[in-house]
Amino acid sequence: MTAATLAEASPHRRPSSGSRVLAVFRLHFVNPGTTIVIPWAILAFIFIVNVAIWALIFAAATSPSDRADAQEGTSWSGAATFLFAYMSVVAVQAVNTTFPFAQGYGVTRRDFYLGSSLVFVALSAMYAVGLTVLAEIETATDGWGFGAHMFTAVYYGDGPWFVRLGLFFALFLFFFFLGAAFATVFVRWKAIGMIVSFGAITLVLLAAIALVTLSDGWPAVGAWFGSTGINGVILWSLVPTAVAAVTGYLVLRGATPRN
Amino acid sequence: MNRRSRHTVDESRPIFVQIAEGIENDILSGVLAEETQVPSTNEFAAYYRINPATAGKGVNLLVDEGVLYKKRGIGMFVAEGSRATLAAKRREKFDSEFVRPLIAEAAKLGISRTELAELIRKEETS
Amino acid sequence: MTAVVEVSDLSKRFGQFTAIDRASFAIEENTIHGLLGRNGAGKTTLMQLMTGQDFASGGSIRLFGENPVENSRALSGVCFIKESQKYPEDFKAKHVLRSAPWFFPEWDAAYAERLVADFRLPLDRRIKKLSRGQLSAIGVIVGLASRAPLTFFDEPYLGLDAVARQIFYDRLLEDYASHPRTIVLSTHLIDEVSALLERVIVVDEGRIVIDSSAEDLRGSASIVAGPRATVDAFVDGRDVLHREQLGGLSSVTVARLSEAERSAAARAGLELAPVSLQQLIVRTTTSTSDKEWSQAS
Repeated sequence: MTAATLAEASPHRRPSSGSRVLAVFRLHFVNPGTTIVIPWAILAFIFIVNVAIWALIFAAATSPSDRADAQEGTSWSGAATFLFAYMSVVAVQAVNTTFPFAQGYGVTRRDFYLGSSLVFVALSAMYAVGLTVLAEIETATDGWGFGAHMFTAVYYGDGPWFVRLGLFFALFLFFFFLGAAFATVFVRWKAIGMIVSFGAITLVLLAAIALVTLSDGWPAVGAWFGSTGINGVILWSLVPTAVAAVTGYLVLRGATPRN
Repeated sequence: MNRRSRHTVDESRPIFVQIAEGIENDILSGVLAEETQVPSTNEFAAYYRINPATAGKGVNLLVDEGVLYKKRGIGMFVAEGSRATLAAKRREKFDSEFVRPLIAEAAKLGISRTELAELIRKEETS
Repeated sequence: MTAVVEVSDLSKRFGQFTAIDRASFAIEENTIHGLLGRNGAGKTTLMQLMTGQDFASGGSIRLFGENPVENSRALSGVCFIKESQKYPEDFKAKHVLRSAPWFFPEWDAAYAERLVADFRLPLDRRIKKLSRGQLSAIGVIVGLASRAPLTFFDEPYLGLDAVARQIFYDRLLEDYASHPRTIVLSTHLIDEVSALLERVIVVDEGRIVIDSSAEDLRGSASIVAGPRATVDAFVDGRDVLHREQLGGLSSVTVARLSEAERSAAARAGLELAPVSLQQLIVRTTTSTSDKEWSQAS
């Protein structure tokens, strides 16, 4: 018996691997709820809640010194950080539910991971631009009329807008690929895998913290951050992001429906 | 002996044989006249809800036996003289397929050959 | 005859458990195959191996002449419809139909529309809220409208009611007649699909026990019935598939009998009855314990 080649079986031009990667990219946006609508909605909700809180605080804080204190307090606002962490959730959903579906469409693990990675990059860019714009508006309106900080909190530095954009982009990328890596662990090794990997990472982190504490290293750590500066930290963060990205791919390569 | 009923397919015998038998029956009974067109393979397949390849096999069997022939671009037609050929073929099997079982059953019921002949003659006149 | 899938000495083990045991067979081009067997026999595993979704423990698989694992070119000609397909969060049927064409070059949108009407599929409702039948309908519609050169249906019609199943079989035959391609139907509902099949591959406990044309199987086995002693004498040494007893009467299913053997049986006063495709397959795939029981009795 001779083997039929695909070229003989169908006159249609076979799609290139690149076009399948693009198809995966589009697949993540067919229903934009998870990837676009919900995160922005959450951000809007958090913002509105914050505005309400600011209104209350600044209504109560009538004296100038109280106002200054309150304003300074908001610069420690972690409100926007929720959006970063939520990207891990988006990545988990994207990988966990879209991967088995894409497999049904005959997509290889490699094409799926590449397409999804492109999605994460695109989303990171979109959200980074969005947050940067909001930060500029915040500065321009002098803290939304309250002198409050949400998008210009201390964590994001006080550099020019393009530095802030870079920081946001790197942070989003990190959380996306971190979530994706955990999701691939789940897809391949299910709950057991998650537990083991969480456990392992926790142990490693604890060990690192213990090491630094025992060798009185915290001042050195602080100094490093200080000397490296925001730009440096952004660049260095790309390392764990890359590690997460590669890990995710290697883990997904062995994923099968059964396990 | 099972003859295929018009609407269902017997899963305990090859289906293509049943398709061929059905066409033969229609030719013998005159429903399909000589030199008229026979339904296409796909039409048979759709009607009996069977695989087109199976229907095709049944049609091809009759083509091989000379009962049907193909007119290029149009379809399958009943060959001239096929009715007589089929009748002769069936007559050969008549004895083993009908007569012997009839005699065996009659014997089981204790009906003698003479009684059997009488029953047959009675049928002729009614 | 060209093969679109060639499986050679294929094995798959999950730890100690051997799910597929040295299977060898071919899926022929432009043919409807039935991949039949009991639940848990290994049908789904075989299809997952053939489409590179799972990895073989031994042996080889050639899909369009190539190794299917991570092979996007070979897989672009395959559509694999499973029964329990997971859909992305908050997907609606319309999202599935909108995205499918990006992955199946042969997709026919007009045909998909007609099928949506046939199965009365609500396009705008969330998949989570669909009934079991509607969920199955999505899979069936994608499988048919994909027009992929090789389409696997892994019991995707289990959720469909009898009327919808008949619609599926009818549409399948109709489309197969006008757009011939290679189709593999896996099911344990043999009698419903048997007339559609051209080739039959039966899996039992990970082994291929039947690999034949459907027509060859129909009527190949016979039931020999009569007084127990006479039947036992006749079937002695033969391949017995099944035994049944009622008082002093015994009826045994045996594989192929020649004309001479049939006459011998008739002369011995035994009755012969035909065996349908479904009966043949059911009786070939009894579990090991059943076989031991029937041999002991």
